[in-house]
Amino acid sequence: MREMSTRFGAKPGGYLWAFLDPVSHIVFLSVIFMAIAHIPPLGTSFPLFFATGYIGFQFYQAMAGYLNSAVSGNKALLSYPSVAPIDTIAARYALQIVTTTIVAIVVLGYIVFTVRHPVSIHLPPILEAIAAASLIALGIGLANTVLFIMYPIYEKLYGIITRPLFLVSGVFFLPDSLPPIAKDVILFNPLAHIVMQFRTGFYPQYRASGYDGFYVWCVAASLMFVGLVLFTSCRARLRDR
Amino acid sequence: MIRLERATKEVRMKGVRKMIIDDVSVTFPRGKSIGLLGRNGAGKSTLLQIIAGTLELDRGRIIRQGKISWPLGFQGSFQGNLSGEQNVRFVARIYGVNTDELVAYVAEFAELGQFYHAPVRTYSSGMKARLAFGVSMGINFDYYLVDEITAVGDTNFKRKSQQTFKEKLSNSDVIMVSHSTGTLRDYCQTGIVLENGQMTYYDDINEAIAVHESNMKRH
Repeated sequence: MREMSTRFGAKPGGYLWAFLDPVSHIVFLSVIFMAIAHIPPLGTSFPLFFATGYIGFQFYQAMAGYLNSAVSGNKALLSYPSVAPIDTIAARYALQIVTTTIVAIVVLGYIVFTVRHPVSIHLPPILEAIAAASLIALGIGLANTVLFIMYPIYEKLYGIITRPLFLVSGVFFLPDSLPPIAKDVILFNPLAHIVMQFRTGFYPQYRASGYDGFYVWCVAASLMFVGLVLFTSCRARLRDR
Repeated sequence: MIRLERATKEVRMKGVRKMIIDDVSVTFPRGKSIGLLGRNGAGKSTLLQIIAGTLELDRGRIIRQGKISWPLGFQGSFQGNLSGEQNVRFVARIYGVNTDELVAYVAEFAELGQFYHAPVRTYSSGMKARLAFGVSMGINFDYYLVDEITAVGDTNFKRKSQQTFKEKLSNSDVIMVSHSTGTLRDYCQTGIVLENGQMTYYDDINEAIAVHESNMKRH
């Protein structure tokens, strides 16, 4: 059952797109911010600053987007009795984790080797951020699979509501440097915590004040719970349409 | 053998509820091919999905012994972005048969030529049907679930596929949905009529067809 999994995630356009997206974002952000500021909020390298933010964010964003369509995108395969809807989710989860990890290693590896100062990488916070981000995405993906089918209008709303997520997750700024009120608001967003956590793995001097690991894991656990409950209770309806 | 025990299934489509089977107990014996009859919308395809296991019963249970195919239809169930060959590999893996053997068998049977390595979304419906038929013939099932697929392709392919299918039927049974009574008589010995949530089993397909036709006249 599991060997088959990777096969059905085959993406059109190939793996190249997986690299093009983060690279173009990082370059774009770097160029713009280099024009308006002299030094990044952390360290001296703009590309490293944005790459750590954007890729940390991608562990959530790319995963959630990919999982939302796992069932609808593999409808044809669900007519085989031995393929269950959860298999399509599991397969995409595995594939996306591997993809984003490879992208992270290649892109961040390249940047780390080209910056002038040696970067000391500390793995535990990075891995914790990845785990939390992907679990939040998994919970949301499971719930959305069901909700998109039952309430098509919700799919549109979801798209509108989550669009500014990129702006408020601290990808191109540090929540710590915001005025206290704005900081408190931003920190309701668990993804902002995840991006902070991810960054601490690359910037030993970064203290990430306001980071609350307990909050992140609570959000991840409750989203997983809601997602699993919804998905299991509506399992039978997922094949129908 | 496939047995339904006090099985109940109701489907909801756009707010309309429809009882497909209501507290039905029936046994499909091994060694006899069965024609499934019923008016349009009676739930014949739904019943095939229940037997295949892609739909769950609301109440009651189903006992399956033997290897049962997925419901074979015209279009087949393929991922459009993968090539025909990749799709065949996928099916071979999920059914645990030898991948290379199945790929070679389908290549020869479906006669797709170059298209075998092209994405399935570029296929014509005839090519898809040939691929689907080839795959299902390449795996030895005890039960074939057939949904309105009888003859695909040109005359030559039709002859070949009918011959292959008949050969398969010496070891396998088929549960077939078709509106063509000729086809049903051709392949099936026994019949089941699905009407108003009740299933009635007839030892003789001709009897089942007669009952079905008188049902159709009543409305």
